[in-house]
Amino acid sequence: MSEEEWLRQDRLPHIFCAGCGNGTVINCTLSAVEQIGWKKQDTIFVSGIGCSSRAPGYISTDSLHTTHGRALAFATGIKLANPGLNVVVFTGDGDLAAIGGNHFIHACRRNIDITVVCMNNMIYGMTGGQGSPTTPLGGLSTTTPYGSKEPAFDLCGLASAAGANYVARWTSYHVRELTRSILTGLETPGFSFIESLVQCPTNYGRRNRFKQVTDQIEYFRSHTILVEKAVRMKEKGEEVPADMILSGEFVRRNRPALGVRP
Amino acid sequence: MRLQIDERRCKGCNLCTLVCPYRIFKPGKRANLRGVIVPELDRPERCANCRLRDLYGRTLCGMCQMICPDQAISWVKEEEHVPKKVAIEY
Repeated sequence: MSEEEWLRQDRLPHIFCAGCGNGTVINCTLSAVEQIGWKKQDTIFVSGIGCSSRAPGYISTDSLHTTHGRALAFATGIKLANPGLNVVVFTGDGDLAAIGGNHFIHACRRNIDITVVCMNNMIYGMTGGQGSPTTPLGGLSTTTPYGSKEPAFDLCGLASAAGANYVARWTSYHVRELTRSILTGLETPGFSFIESLVQCPTNYGRRNRFKQVTDQIEYFRSHTILVEKAVRMKEKGEEVPADMILSGEFVRRNRPALGVRP
Repeated sequence: MRLQIDERRCKGCNLCTLVCPYRIFKPGKRANLRGVIVPELDRPERCANCRLRDLYGRTLCGMCQMICPDQAISWVKEEEHVPKKVAIEY
């Protein structure tokens, strides 16, 4: 089977804007699911509300498109009702960090055996570009027209602190690394959280001096730094630039997981 | 294997022109029927990773296909090369 067979051909082309990174993350996730060899009838994709949450609609497996922020609650229900199913959750940053924040930390605490792929586009893309909890400091949006004055939410730090078994962050430029991380997340028993920064050319890039889609991808390429390198720089006493995005694997551990068949 | 761009799916974001190490993709000039300026393939036979896919039995580079947000890039099997007999008339 190939990735193409996991897509619902009759629904394509999808409604994402030209250059939206969500499609890239769908590619990476399907590639990882393909590599691990799951069957279509045992796999469920769950999502909440938002741009990213339209992703399961284009995948030809069972899927749930649930209420805003409650994707993790529904996924917990699926996993506990039938631990034999493989559950993957697609969420966005507004879905996971803002309205579903409490579900997120408690899913991490319970360490349920699901994989969460968060497509963080740093803005509320679908509703017209309002600032989200992950809008970086100084980022322009319709609700922060003079630049965001609040520090952004570090979702990976939150997941690590709350007790997830596997935490990683990549961007939509790092497709190979993202695929590898998602594959590791699918294999890991327990809660695995993979954050992927994606470009939003229509609502974020347009307001933040990324005129072309490729400009924001170039920014991701030049402004990411591996966690290991950041640690080495700190040991040497060098300063890690403040606008750098930390990427890589943050946590890989073996806490007891919920919802795993013994 | 040969690269191809599905014009019905492509939305013209030109991400493939950014990632290809051989610069096979170049920004298009003409809009297609849907009004999308689809990137053009510039001598796709130059891509060694596409040619050697079958030999190695796995995807070698595949960056263009992975990063394409619209799932528009794929590979098609090439027909075997059949040498043609050319009759030369004097």
